Amino acid sequence: MTAWTLCIDFGTAFSKAAAAPRQAWARFDPGAVRPLALGAVQEAGNPLLLESAVFIDETHVLFGRAALARARALEGKKRSALRSFKTLLGAADLDRALDANALASLDPHRVFQMRDLVVLYLAYLLAAVERAAAADQALARVSEIKRRYAAPAWSGVSAASLHAGLAGLLGQAEAFRRTAGAALTEPDGVAIDLVTRTLPGALERPIEQEAELIFEAAAAAAYSSIGLEQKGTHFIVVDMGAGTTDITALSRRDDELRELSDARLTLKKAGDYVDGLIANVFLNAGKHAKSVEQRTGLWRAAMAQMADLKEALFASGRASVRHEGKVVSIGLKDLERDRDYKDFVKALQEVYGHALVVLAADAARAKARELHAIAVGGGAPSPFIRELVRTQPRGVRVKALPRPATPKWAHAPEFQGNLAPVFPQLAIAIGGALAPETMLAARGKPRPLAPE
Amino acid sequence: MPAALAEAAWREADAALAEALCYCDEAMTAKAAPARTDALAMLEQALSRAGRKRGMSRTGALGAIEPFDKAEHDLVGGATAARVRVVARGVMRGGDVLAKPRAAPARTKRR
Repeated sequence: MTAWTLCIDFGTAFSKAAAAPRQAWARFDPGAVRPLALGAVQEAGNPLLLESAVFIDETHVLFGRAALARARALEGKKRSALRSFKTLLGAADLDRALDANALASLDPHRVFQMRDLVVLYLAYLLAAVERAAAADQALARVSEIKRRYAAPAWSGVSAASLHAGLAGLLGQAEAFRRTAGAALTEPDGVAIDLVTRTLPGALERPIEQEAELIFEAAAAAAYSSIGLEQKGTHFIVVDMGAGTTDITALSRRDDELRELSDARLTLKKAGDYVDGLIANVFLNAGKHAKSVEQRTGLWRAAMAQMADLKEALFASGRASVRHEGKVVSIGLKDLERDRDYKDFVKALQEVYGHALVVLAADAARAKARELHAIAVGGGAPSPFIRELVRTQPRGVRVKALPRPATPKWAHAPEFQGNLAPVFPQLAIAIGGALAPETMLAARGKPRPLAPE
Repeated sequence: MPAALAEAAWREADAALAEALCYCDEAMTAKAAPARTDALAMLEQALSRAGRKRGMSRTGALGAIEPFDKAEHDLVGGATAARVRVVARGVMRGGDVLAKPRAAPARTKRR
């Protein structure tokens, strides 16, 4: 009967959660790591992933995969699901962003604000976490589970204000979850009538709970260095997601992990941008596609399976797509010759180089001999990111050690080969659950911030 | 470990394997060389995806000429050799070798 930590990774596309014993950092046992089956509340799909999506239908609010399916069915009718919660939560003025009315494409009834939709999704997420934790044999025997959630370190947003904002929303979501009960995870969603009657009360009377905030970069540092003899004092993390590429440098001193704010940089180009470049390369290679319709069709065919195509291109150096009975193949070299791609890689090298200089100087001052370079996010397997983390700092006696995207311990026999293939998707939730308290950005119940 | 972990790890690999089986039929029944080449390209892509979804990676470089090492290579087309040419890459999962690279005796050019 030990205390455990449960970390929720509130992702742009998917939400994930994992749990680990509270003492995991000091006495690491890979077999004790528990990824949670959040997706089990849905009828199909990957049981470890919960789609981050809300859709307002005629009479019900739909969540997750059901929300996306309904949005796709109504695509031609200018209807869409809300997906970009994470971007919204990174707004410098969070309250203002949340108080905005939802667009008509999201809410044709025009009754909801953005805050309502975020709170509704978080309530659904908490219900999924609750159900998954109860179904897990190890967690069901645990006496105390501390909640933790992972978020990016947004530029211009302090950890305290981010924690106050996010923990406040989670408190409102918990209040709504308790009111809505089992209706939240019904396949048909929650009746709008129930939402409009009960949500205002939940927003006014949140059920605040102890929660801890860990930055995603710190979670990456945790899963990369746990189990190593030398856990490391300096980390550079490059996180290439869909919309942004974030570079973060972390330094541990007196057992506290702190971020070097001079090193933090965000590029507004990332996975989505690279996807577009790859689709263009397919267009150039598809000589059979001559008319606008054909070229549009080829573009759509490539974009529809881009995750697999990109993976194939980066892993084996070539990728093929079938369109109108023709197989169109491209090679990695075709992409590497693209001017926009070259410019993107160059910009990335520059910002990474800057962060590396700042971190290496800090490491040299602390008399550290090495720093750990970690790539996370969907872009981690790309050749240019793998090359980037091998960059060595100049002018200092500090060596950069590139850490693998999937740590060795994920191949432990306890997992029977099943954790490593899904590790990159769960990495932040797992790292967040394993991290010691000294790696946290903020903790405690949300309190109103004192004026600065 | 929870069954969900195994289910998640296998789900995408299963889909890729199913696709590979279909492309395999296409390649076997293709009457013209270009159609067979296309089907083989798609088959290779689907099979590689299935392998990656199961955490497998490839080791060795096709065509590489290397000194023969019994521990590192599976020799095909001969009993022994001083130098070999890699004709099929090996397969690894984590640190475990599931299949060693296959290599054929490398012919030395006569002057």
